[in-house]
Amino acid sequence: MCGLLCKLAAWARKKSPWIFHLPAGGLCNGCDIEIVAALTPRYDVERFGILLAPSPKHADILVVAGQVTKHTKERLLRVYQQVPEPKAVVAVGSCAISGNVFGTENYPLAGTVDQFIPVDVYVPGCPPKPEAIILGIVEAIKKLEGETRKS
Amino acid sequence: MLTSITEILNLLKKYGKVEKIHKDTYVVEISPGKVRELCEILHWKLNGHFSVTVGSDERPVNGYFGVYHVFLLDKQKLSVIVHVKVNPVTLKIPSITPIIPGANWHEREAHDFFGIFFEEHPNLERLILPYDWPEGIHPLRKDVNVRELRYKLLKKETGLVVEKKAEEEYIVPIGPYHPALHEPEYFELYVEGEKIVDARYKGFHVHRGIEKVAEERLTINQVPFIAERICGICGYTHNVAYCQAVENAARIDVPLRAKYIRSILLEIERVHSHLLWFGVLFHLLGFDTGFMMTWLVREKIMDLAEILTGNRKNYGMNLVGGVRRDINEEKIKLSLETLDYVEYKLRKILDKMLKLKEITSRTKEIGLLSREEARKLSVVGPVARASGISTDVRRYHPYAAYSELEFKVPVYDAGDVYSRALVRYDEIFESISMLKQLLKNIPKGDLTAENVKVPEYRKGLGLTEAPRGENVHLVITGRENKVYRWRPRAPSYNNVPSTLVMLKGEKLADAPAIIASIDPCFSCTDHVVVIDVRTNVKQVLRLKEIARGK
Ligand code: SF4
Repeated sequence: MCGLLCKLAAWARKKSPWIFHLPAGGLCNGCDIEIVAALTPRYDVERFGILLAPSPKHADILVVAGQVTKHTKERLLRVYQQVPEPKAVVAVGSCAISGNVFGTENYPLAGTVDQFIPVDVYVPGCPPKPEAIILGIVEAIKKLEGETRKS
Repeated sequence: MLTSITEILNLLKKYGKVEKIHKDTYVVEISPGKVRELCEILHWKLNGHFSVTVGSDERPVNGYFGVYHVFLLDKQKLSVIVHVKVNPVTLKIPSITPIIPGANWHEREAHDFFGIFFEEHPNLERLILPYDWPEGIHPLRKDVNVRELRYKLLKKETGLVVEKKAEEEYIVPIGPYHPALHEPEYFELYVEGEKIVDARYKGFHVHRGIEKVAEERLTINQVPFIAERICGICGYTHNVAYCQAVENAARIDVPLRAKYIRSILLEIERVHSHLLWFGVLFHLLGFDTGFMMTWLVREKIMDLAEILTGNRKNYGMNLVGGVRRDINEEKIKLSLETLDYVEYKLRKILDKMLKLKEITSRTKEIGLLSREEARKLSVVGPVARASGISTDVRRYHPYAAYSELEFKVPVYDAGDVYSRALVRYDEIFESISMLKQLLKNIPKGDLTAENVKVPEYRKGLGLTEAPRGENVHLVITGRENKVYRWRPRAPSYNNVPSTLVMLKGEKLADAPAIIASIDPCFSCTDHVVVIDVRTNVKQVLRLKEIARGK
């Protein structure tokens, strides 16, 4: 069902997925720093074509770190809507996955990421090592591939 | 002028009941009418500095609310806590902000959380709670329970999402993007052409209510985990400060080996944090080579943390009374080797970079903070040291193993972005030298104190020098192995308001470096709303866009 152009896009997506990184609010920043560390020379994900997108509208993969707070809930939904299909979501860190030691019931918090948007890959750790984050993104690429094949 | 400790104590006794809570730390309980007078003496006349204001709901214990103003007198190595009981019906006490502007946020926070009114406060608006927070609910009061609160708020939410919120949320996701400098807080800059005429700060979107969780749900030995997660860059320092506060309150003696291990990790954290900061500064100045190179060296330090603790970040090493894990000879040897390498590399890299014209011309004489302003706002850490104030908790209120080490406290007078960089540059090498001393001289012995028992309703103050400055935790112990009140005050809390002074009169293009120069935990370096005062046009930019001159 896929025309030449569409195939080309799918190929490009696989070879060079663009990611958008969104800290959801209830977090300590540790995960964000590790995501940045993945860009620096030791890991250097850019050599694999993984690129940080300047806007969610250009992204294929949304990387969310941290728990959702009441302040940031709507922002998360809006950013998710702005990522074009096909898209994948990676939740990085214990906060995003389960709320971590902060719990999910406290007054400023709204809940874990998967209560608001569908999450495809969970990367546990507090914070996960950059290697683990890269692995999570690779898994997300697989999901993107699968979806294009289906469509 | 009063200088000796006895003279100061005598003076305090004139004002109220003085109680020694632990070594070099005194609480003086005074009536609300005398607060201003005493605080003025402590901050201005005795050359101490205001550190934090802590509100507390003590109605279940003594029928009052409490307000604690903490002052540190560096010269005398003394901490003085001014305690005022607040009448639970009128809830009013005089504000100290008119005499110490640095207390502004602290008092507003106590107002948010406990509903205490500070009379004659210039602007007692909400600081931390969101706009749509219902009036009259103060989350840290003891009669408010997390679950109920959530239920109440959920009910409210349907009708109460204020329009204003939607508008502000709207502006956030726009704009180019850089991963590290990204959190939902922002500055508003008012500009006339290229010149910044006024600046405001909006933040606290990452408020997670950890104090409530800690007081309500966690036991004394679980709090260190949440304390460490206050900040993803310098979390361990919070962990240590909390443990010290409880240890002080309970008079627990920590074994020397444990103290050494704490100091080692604290210094590792400082080096990695400062390197991270250099990376960010270079990045904001458009010098990405510098960014990448400093972060490459930083990875070595992260390895070191991993070797010693098992995690690159969030070490989880502390218990009240000591540390959890030991370090062995092999690790010490490996660490010393790594440090030699890091030192050699950094000298090479940073020496060159700090001489580059591209860097100096954009940091020298930019973002000025005079000594007076710094004193007024009670700034701490490298920001204070770059403005000619010699303050360092490690030197003046020694904790962990610092009293056994030799080190310098770098102080520069210029008060610009460049001197803030120099302070951090010096500190990196001081830290490396301290680390070597610590690793070489670490004594044998136990890791935790025996017999850790925490009595009820004792107060303890824990101080550490975080990479960003003085970090203060006040703990009141509670029953059943819990904390009754815990107030961590991170250094950025005192430093962020100073950026507004630094920004005024500067060029828009320098804003990113100025804001980053206080190292605001990344939380605040992100979104900037630029408002042209002549046309009143609002524009939302990312710091990087400004850096690029958009
Ligand atoms: S998972 Fe851990 S490191 Fe990551 S944001 Fe949460 S507390 Fe910080």
